[in-house]
Amino acid sequence: MSLTGHGPGAVRLRDLSFAFVARGGGSLPVLDGVDLAIPGGGIVALVGPNGCGKSTLLRVIAGLLEPARGEALLDGAPIDGPDPRIGLVFQEPRLLPWRSAADNITYPLELAGWPAARRRERLAALSDRVDLDPAVTTSRPAELSGGTRQRVALARALALEPEVLLLDEPFSALDALTRERFDLELLRLWHRAATTIVIVTHSIPEAVLIADRVVVLSARPARIVADIAIDLARPRTIEALDDPAAGRASRRIRAFLEDDDGEPTEHRTTAASVRTELAS
Amino acid sequence: MTRVAALSIVVAFAVFVLVWKAIVVVSGLPPFILPAPETVAIRFVGAWRDGTIEPHLATTLVEVGLGFAVGVALALIAGYGLARSVWVERLLSPYLVAAQAIPILALAPLLVWWFGNGLLSKVVIAALIVFFPVAVATMVGIRSVDARLLELGRSLRATRRQVLLTLEIPAALPNILGGMRVGVTLAVVGALVGEWAGANQGLGVLINLARGSLFDIPLMFATLVTIALVGIVLYLMVVILERRLVGNR
Ligand SMILES: Nc1ncnc2c1ncn2[C@@H]1O[C@H](COP(=O)(O)OP(=O)(O)OP(=O)(O)O)[C@@H](O)[C@H]1O
Ligand SMILES: [Mg+2]
Repeated sequence: MSLTGHGPGAVRLRDLSFAFVARGGGSLPVLDGVDLAIPGGGIVALVGPNGCGKSTLLRVIAGLLEPARGEALLDGAPIDGPDPRIGLVFQEPRLLPWRSAADNITYPLELAGWPAARRRERLAALSDRVDLDPAVTTSRPAELSGGTRQRVALARALALEPEVLLLDEPFSALDALTRERFDLELLRLWHRAATTIVIVTHSIPEAVLIADRVVVLSARPARIVADIAIDLARPRTIEALDDPAAGRASRRIRAFLEDDDGEPTEHRTTAASVRTELAS
Repeated sequence: MTRVAALSIVVAFAVFVLVWKAIVVVSGLPPFILPAPETVAIRFVGAWRDGTIEPHLATTLVEVGLGFAVGVALALIAGYGLARSVWVERLLSPYLVAAQAIPILALAPLLVWWFGNGLLSKVVIAALIVFFPVAVATMVGIRSVDARLLELGRSLRATRRQVLLTLEIPAALPNILGGMRVGVTLAVVGALVGEWAGANQGLGVLINLARGSLFDIPLMFATLVTIALVGIVLYLMVVILERRLVGNR
């Protein structure tokens, strides 16, 4: 069952480029002509070497950074700033340490001016959706386990019912088993809410397990070097990774990632295309 | 407070009194130089009974309270400006540091000359001396706000006011309260210095009276004890406030 192509939450990146102002005044190009179309309700995983610009790309989609060239569109309209239709989970949970878990989850609602009674109602629904133990909602972040903190961060990102969920290495701090469980929970959540998901990850199995498509980025400045479809039936369980299709996809992703390790661009492109053909 | 903590305070106080008594006995100093602790205790109780201390204390407390409130209020605004605007910092910080470099003792007579013998001059002096530590603490606190939390606020489209109320103030609160701890004891110093420079009533005036026209050295000591108690109580009030606001982070 795939929900791709229907409903709101279509993200279109058109020839997106971005550069930071480097120390000393020069410019540090980070994104170089990224072109990507994600249908509403689709799941795309972004993989790429450290520091290549994955988080930057998410920030551009989230409206936190303005691209130097090109544009990012949500449902056909340019994204020109933070938008309630886009929910963001950062690499670290980023909770307000002086607030309880519950008050962290409802923080976006508070900022949006929801009255307390409605916030409480919504809190119950959100805790339920991310499977948060109701006993911990009064605890401060410091008292919570890493997994629970990330649940809280996820609930907070879902608070305003976004059409698009941007996840920046959301589970990278979790142990392997917890991480798998979170991946599957994320998929269950997606089946219910059908949001578009863009997830950055360094884990190839995670990317394959979750995504419709895995987009491989080059070293900085990030360009798209491969866009690999994952042909696994949904709903997926952890056994999906044992499927030969999953193995093939993983090998291709790995090949593109390894390939990108510091080789000159032209050579890389050629080698990449050869491998693409071999692999498919 | 734990039982151990309470006990250690009692023990420390007992040791202090015993050493004091021992010095009096061993040195044989006359009571008008160093009265014995029990003499001071009796005078303290007496001065409270006959209403010698009370009006002076009331005057000083009002000066301290108002001076502290005004000083803190101005310091919060200035500290925020210093933290968030390069221009405010450039324009203001030389004057702040200069004002801090001139001892309040040297400034007090001028301020009393300008603002009179009454409440106003003491409030100004106390506010002035409270201002610096609280402003610096506020500045440091606001600057310490995690940039990642500010980015979160931006991604949730928080208004300037919401950023201030839900991110900057809570994050800066431990620092601000630390500055207020220092500030509240300085407010007492400021009020007393102001009274020394010219006043009709207040604990600083009472000290002068006890030393001068009354020549009642035990009363002077009793006043000193009162001043110390004022400082301790005010300090504890800030500590309690701190516990309530940031205690369980
Ligand atoms: N605010 C900034 N100012 C200047 N340079 C920055 C800034 N943020 C990131 N960079 C640089 O931009 C590049 C891309 O950063 P980004 O965080 O997008 O990488 P990433 O792909 O998410 O890396 P990682 O896998 O380590 O999370 C890096 O070289 C980084 O040093
Ligand atoms: Mg990153």
